[in-house]
Order: sequence, then structure tokens, then C-alpha cells
Amino acid sequence: MPEIILKNLTKRFDQFVAVDNLNLTIGDREFVTLLGPSGCGKTTTLRMIAGLETPTEGEITIGGRVVFSSEKGVDVSPDKRDVGFLFQNYALWPHMTVYGNIAFGLQNLKWPKDKIEARVRELLEMLKIEEFVGRYPSELSGGQQQRVAIARTLATGPKVLFMDEPLSNLDAKLRMEMRTELKRLHLETDSTFVYVTHDQLEAMTLSSRICLLKEGYLQQYEPPLEVYHNPANLFVADFVGSPNINLLQGVGNNVNLDEIKLDCGGLRMIFTPRSSSITLDRDQPVAVGIRPEYIRICTDGEKGKVQGIIYSTLPSGMETIVRIDIGGQQFTCVVFGGVDFAVDEVVEVDFDSQQNVLFDLATGKNLALGKLDIIR
Amino acid sequence: MLMNVRNSLKSYFRKPYNVILWVLVLLLGYLTVIPLVSIVMDTFTVHSSEVMRLQGAEAGDLTLYHWNKVLADPVTSSKVFYEPFWNTIWISLGTCFVAILLGGLVAWLITRTNIKYKSFISTAFVLPYIMPSWTLAMAWLNFFKNPLVGGAPGLFTVLTGIQTPNWFAYGPFPIVIVQGLHYAPFAYILIGGILRNMDANLEEAATILKAGRARIFIKITIPIVMPAMLSTFLLVFSSSMSAFAVPQFLGAPVRFQVLTTQMYRTINGLNPGYGYVIALIMILIGVLILALNQKITGSRKSYTTVTGKSSNIALVNLKGLRTPLSVALIAVLLAICILPLISFAVESFVVAPGNYSPSNFSTVFWVGRGSVSIANGEPGILRNKYIFQGLWNSLKLSVVVAFIAGTVGILAGYAIVRRRGSKLSALVNNLCFFPYLMPSMAFGAIYLSMFAVKRGFIPALYGSFALLVLVGAVKYLPFASRSGVGAMMQLSGEIEEAGTIMGIKWWKRMTKIIIPIQKSSFLSGYLLPFISCMRELSLFILLVSPSTRILTTMLFQYNEKGWNQYANAINLLIVVIVVSCNLIVNKLTGASIDKGIGG
Repeated sequence: MPEIILKNLTKRFDQFVAVDNLNLTIGDREFVTLLGPSGCGKTTTLRMIAGLETPTEGEITIGGRVVFSSEKGVDVSPDKRDVGFLFQNYALWPHMTVYGNIAFGLQNLKWPKDKIEARVRELLEMLKIEEFVGRYPSELSGGQQQRVAIARTLATGPKVLFMDEPLSNLDAKLRMEMRTELKRLHLETDSTFVYVTHDQLEAMTLSSRICLLKEGYLQQYEPPLEVYHNPANLFVADFVGSPNINLLQGVGNNVNLDEIKLDCGGLRMIFTPRSSSITLDRDQPVAVGIRPEYIRICTDGEKGKVQGIIYSTLPSGMETIVRIDIGGQQFTCVVFGGVDFAVDEVVEVDFDSQQNVLFDLATGKNLALGKLDIIR
Repeated sequence: MLMNVRNSLKSYFRKPYNVILWVLVLLLGYLTVIPLVSIVMDTFTVHSSEVMRLQGAEAGDLTLYHWNKVLADPVTSSKVFYEPFWNTIWISLGTCFVAILLGGLVAWLITRTNIKYKSFISTAFVLPYIMPSWTLAMAWLNFFKNPLVGGAPGLFTVLTGIQTPNWFAYGPFPIVIVQGLHYAPFAYILIGGILRNMDANLEEAATILKAGRARIFIKITIPIVMPAMLSTFLLVFSSSMSAFAVPQFLGAPVRFQVLTTQMYRTINGLNPGYGYVIALIMILIGVLILALNQKITGSRKSYTTVTGKSSNIALVNLKGLRTPLSVALIAVLLAICILPLISFAVESFVVAPGNYSPSNFSTVFWVGRGSVSIANGEPGILRNKYIFQGLWNSLKLSVVVAFIAGTVGILAGYAIVRRRGSKLSALVNNLCFFPYLMPSMAFGAIYLSMFAVKRGFIPALYGSFALLVLVGAVKYLPFASRSGVGAMMQLSGEIEEAGTIMGIKWWKRMTKIIIPIQKSSFLSGYLLPFISCMRELSLFILLVSPSTRILTTMLFQYNEKGWNQYANAINLLIVVIVVSCNLIVNKLTGASIDKGIGG
């Protein structure tokens, strides 16, 4: 079954390196997201796999068949790669009706008329767009156009589906709706999805694995929760998660066998690695990442490890984002439910999780996950 | 109640765009609608030159004589109207065919394939459109003239000894070729623009769905550029329908008449009434074409281009054809753009036409003092004070016309876009475009009859420079207002509002904010009337007087007298001026009438 393997894939435009030596295996029936800021090479990667862009070097295998290889001189054209592609702007043909758009691929396969008709009906029903069958794309709303584009892509039943930021032209509400639909479609169509987005939330919620790229380099390729909780480096930690992770810079020293003392501005902490112990240089510059949900504001007169001063509160109903000043450093934390703190109120704060991350500041690399204790 | 009305009127007219719109309604109403009414009246009245033939009638009487003679009379109607009419239709269709085929092909080659020398081809290809339309017609005659109609043979016959047949040298065939070449850049710019802006994803989507190249071309590319092709077709059709110079140059030797040449003959001759009927019919066809165009572009299949990542279009690899095709195209371009100029230069030095031996070359037509044996003692071009007067008049006229048309165009564009959606704005928009539909010659004729006498506050303008300016400014307003509207459409209203909020006066907002931002588009609005005016013949031909002669009308006169060398020399002069003006303005400001689409 279709497994996509990229080997040393590189794409250069003149001097500019869009994708640099990318190695990736996308398993059968996975939902893989290529995530990264704009210009990181994710769309180029997707277009190379689909055959719309020719790589400079490397090899691409889809379902055991080499479709591109710079060494062997193989370059299978996109129409022979048996893939589907959903474009960011839908690319619906303006001169064809909804029916014409969806049927086009089937006509190319020389299906008999009645079978085409049946297949198109099936898709119209599946995507709930039956009533628009006779309309032209310009007479549809963005969300409807999106559904037509999906139907057109699914019509020929490709086992691999590529999507290039398909939801970015929709409004927030529709985007939410389409996300649910896409996840269901992934199961119903029983195929492999490769999805490009710059929206980390989309990547988190949809995919079975996230492939995070930056400036053409692979940063991390793991399931979303793993990327979230155990980011490979500072960039990944900062890119994934909303509100952003709290990153404190300072210096670290080994103190006891398994403990590291951190000096971050006015804050002093003990970091206990969860897994293996690590050895730091003397006064090694480090950063520690604390997810907002792991900073707890104590209520009901409970005593925390440290005191903080409320800087601002953003209640949104289900949760409240609070900015707190602790020892001269600003932290973002998330409190479940709608709580409204007064500005400049003094609160008791605690860090209570095993999921804090210690990074080497020079390389940005993840050193260890661990527990954090504040020294009073 | 009264106070309310007065207050609301006051606040209405405090908005500059409302003032502009109303001024334009009045002014253009007077300058375009009244002429139209007057032309209708002219078709029903007896003209002084016709009194002889209409017994018992006096000049000014109402009559159906013209309509009857032109459309219904079994004897006259076929010669006067139907034959030229069908000639016009066939010529225009042929022109469209050549122009779209050639322009479309080059547009496709430039935007979609890996052909070489793209920027050169794209620059050179628009030259025939910048040059006066009769340039190629004169070049054709220089090369392919035959002695059958009288006069000296052309270069081709002299060099090869082959006599060109009449059908090849004169009449419909060369007219179609020459006009087709002249309008091909027009098709190239329009179709190329669409091809360039067309979202490549549309074609890629079809590729992914396993459509072959040919099928994509037929099913996707062609239908999507179809609306643009149709508009191109209609615009080229109406332009070539109202073209005068080319059919006159190439058709006259074999008495091949089209509507415009017929109009010139009749209005300038003894039957102005016939001419006005023809003019009116041409205007009607023009309106019909415009309506058709709007219907096509406004249909429900039309699309708003959501621009995608079109930068990464996969260009068609021409492979083995790449070099031969590139070279062939360059050769054709040189033949169209450079060869005519060389032929003008050569012809302007030849004393006895048709004899190209070195001894027959002379600079007498350029710097000669003028001798009785040659052209009635007309001095050489560079010594001829009439030529300099004509050149000066041409430049002066073009600059003034461009200034007026361009400025009014900016104001009109501003006001039309600010009040977009209102009936008033639509009215002004149509009024501004209306002169485009009037065949130039008819337009000139109307102004001649309208302003020959004192009209209201406007004094009698016959033979005056002001009349030329007036007719030119109105005729070229459509170009300027189009680019004005285009420029303003791209500009968000908020940009001006930001200035309004800060209390900046309207005048300052225009000169300090709006005009600088869209400088290049607005400049095109000046450049287009300037260049069109520099090379215009049919609009002014009925209006010039000896003191207001311009280069183009002098060229026409020299040509009619058979003083070929002078005509060729003047033509060279006009082409050089027009092309270098375009070049200079383009280099200085980036504005250009060709707005190259090439790579």
C-alpha cells in the first residue's frame, strides 16, 4: 500500500535552497502535516511529491514505485503518480459547473456516462452539496467551493491525497467545521493524507504525525502530542502551542547527582531531569520551557512556591489567559474557566508538572524533560 | 423643508466627486450627445451641395432622400452602401483572424513556453501598434507596388523581376495582412495578460486528474481565455472597422471601398448626407459591439481570479523547436518593425521612383533647396518651413490634447470610482467611453459642421487650432478615463479617507496622495492620447486648414499628389518621434502603452 519515502530530497531555486536534504517516510493511511512558517519549503515539498515541481536532487518513492530519482533519471509525470491534490485557492474551473468540475477526472479515465453520474451523485451527497450541482464556481461561497474542490479530488479515489493549505481561505467558523470533516474523510476514504499548513493548531488537531520544517530543514517528525510535550528544539517549542510556551533564559550548573540549578534573572530553580541525568558545563547558557497550562495560580488561600503579580487577564469563557510577573520575569499561564483577576493583584503561583523542557541555548537542542522547583 | 433641501444640496456638492460628475455630465453631454443628435438630423436634412439634385428642395429641408438612397434604392444602395459594408465586414473579420492568431500565438509562446529572447520579442512585438497604422501599408506599397495600376514598381519587383499580381499588391488581401499585423500586439497584450494572470493551479489540477496536454488546452486553457479572446475580437473588429488610412492607401488603387473611405468620399464630396447615414450606422454597430462585449464579460461563467502561486508555472519545453522558432520569430519581427523603416529611408532618397541604382539616390528631398523640376519646387524636408510648421503643430496639438484628456481622465476616474454603483457614475462612465465608438472621421465631420458657426458661448472655430484640440481631447478621453478608472480601482478608498480625517484639503489629497501612488497608471493615461494624437489622420483630416496642418495630414496630401519621397520621409519622422517618445517616457517613469507582459 502507498507508503511515501523521500530520500535526500533537495530543491534549489538559483541560489536559494527551498528544501535541504529532506528524509521522510510517510506511512500508509497516515495523516501527515507539513508544518512551518511561510517560506520554509513545505509547499515545495508537497509539490515535489505530487510531481508539480522537479526536485534538484534526491529520490521519491510512492507505494514502492520510484517516481523521481535524480540519479536514475526517473521523473514520472503527475498524472501517472495516482495522487490527488487539493489547492489552496481550490482551482475550480470557472467555465464548468459543479458537476463538470467533479466529473472531469472520471471523464479522463474514460468511465461510462452512467457510472460517472452515479459517482458524482455519491460525492455530492457525501459533501452535502447536492443542490449546487448546476452552478458555476463564481456562484458559490468559499466554503461551498471548498467542498466542490474536495469532491473533485476524491472523485477518482486516489489512495494518496495532497492538500496545500486548503482551509486558509475560509473564515474561522467554517475552518473549524471543515477540520472535523477532513478528519472523518481521512477515515472514510481509507487513504494517506499529506497536508500543508502554517497553522499549528490545524496540524495539532488533524494529523497523526507532524513534520516541522524551518528554512528547508526538518526540525521534528513525530505525533502531535509528542511534538507538543517533547519539542526537539527551541524553534519547535516556540512554534507549537497557543498561547506560546514560556521560555526563560539563564545559566545552569549540575548541583547534585541528578539535579541542575538554574539561574534565570531573578529566579532560581532546581530542574530534575525525568529520564537520564545530564551533564552541563559550568554556567552553561540554557533555556527552560514551561507550557502555560503548567503554571498554576493557587486559589482558596493555598500557599504556592512563589508569589506573582497579575499583569493582565484575558478571560474567554472556557479558559483565561493570564500574564503574571514572577521575580521580574513575565509568564503566560492558562487557567481553566473564566476567572477575572485584578491587575496588580498578588497571587500565589506553583509550577507543577514533569513536562518542562531544558534546552541548550547555543544549539537550541532539547536536553531533557523534567520537574521544576523554585527556590524561595 | 426648503432649508433641508438646500442643506442636503450643499453637502452633496461639497463632495468634489459630485461636482466633477455633474460638470462632466454637462460637458460631455454637450460634446458627445449633441453631435450625435446633430448627425441624426444631418441624415434627414438637405445639404447645400445637394440642392442641385433634389428638385424643389432647399438646404435645410427635411428629407428621407439619404436613407432611401443609401439603404433602399436598387441602383445606388449597392455601390454606396452594401458593397463597402460587406467589404468592411470581411476586412474586419480577416483582420481579427490574423491579429488574434498571431497575437495569441506569440502571447502563448511568451507566457507558457521556454522560447528564447522573451524580453526582446515582447518589446519588439508591440512596435507595430505604436507605429501609425499606415506605416505598414506604405511599406507594403514600397515593396509590392506593381506597374499595372501605374507608377513605378516596388523594391520586390525591382529585386526579383517578379511582377506582383493586383490582388497581392492592393485591395483586401494586403489590407487584412497589414491591419492584422497592426492589431496583433493589441491581441497579444490582452490575451497575454490573461494567460499570465491565469492561475496555473487550474491547469495543474487537470494534470493531476490525468488529463493530457491537448485535452487540458482544449478543455481548460481555451475556455478560460475565451472571454478575453472574444473581447479582443470585438475590440479589434470595431477598431479595424473604423480604420481609414490603411484601406485608403491600399484600396484606392483598385477602387476597393470600405465604409470609412466611402464616408470620406461622400462627406468631402457632394453627398454629405450619405456619409452621415454611413457614420450613424457605424456608430450603431459600435454600440452593438460594446453591448455584446459587456454581456460576455458579465456572464455567470466569468471568474474572479483568485491569484494563486502562479509563479511556478511549468513552461512547455519546445525542445528541438526552441532555437528555430525563436530565430524565426525574431526574423519576422525584424521584417515587420525594421524593414519598413529602412524602406522609408531608402524611398526618401530615390529621385526617380522604381530606380534603385546608386546614381539615382539624392539627398534633395531632405536638404534640397527646391527646384522647379522636382515636386513643384518643394524644398527638402529639413529646409521646408511647412514641414517644421506641421511638426510643431503636431507636437503642440498632441501635448495639449494629452494634457486635457489625461487630466480629465484622472478626475473622471476618481469621481466614477468614488461614486461607483450610482446611476450618475455609470452615466459618466458611459459618456466618457462613448467617443471611442464614434468612427474618427465621422466625429471630425460632426465637429466640423457643429462648430463652423458660433454656438452659444463657443465662438466659430472653423480652421482654428482650438477645434483640433477640442475634437482630439474628446476623442481620446476614453483611453485616459479607462486608465484613470483602472488606477483608482486598485486604490482603496481608505487611503484617501485617512487624509480626509487629518483635515487635508481635496486638492492636496489628489496631488500629494492619490496621484503619486498611481503615478505610472495615470501617466499612461497621458501617454496614450499623446501617441494616438501624434499618429492620428482620419480624425483631423477634415478639420485642418493651411495654418493648422499637422504632419499626418501633410503626409496624406503628399501621398495623394504622388510625391512619394516626401511622404516616406515624413512617415519616418513620425515613427521616430512616436517610438522614441514612448521609449523615453517608459524609461523615465515606467508608464508605457504596451505594459510589456513578457519575461
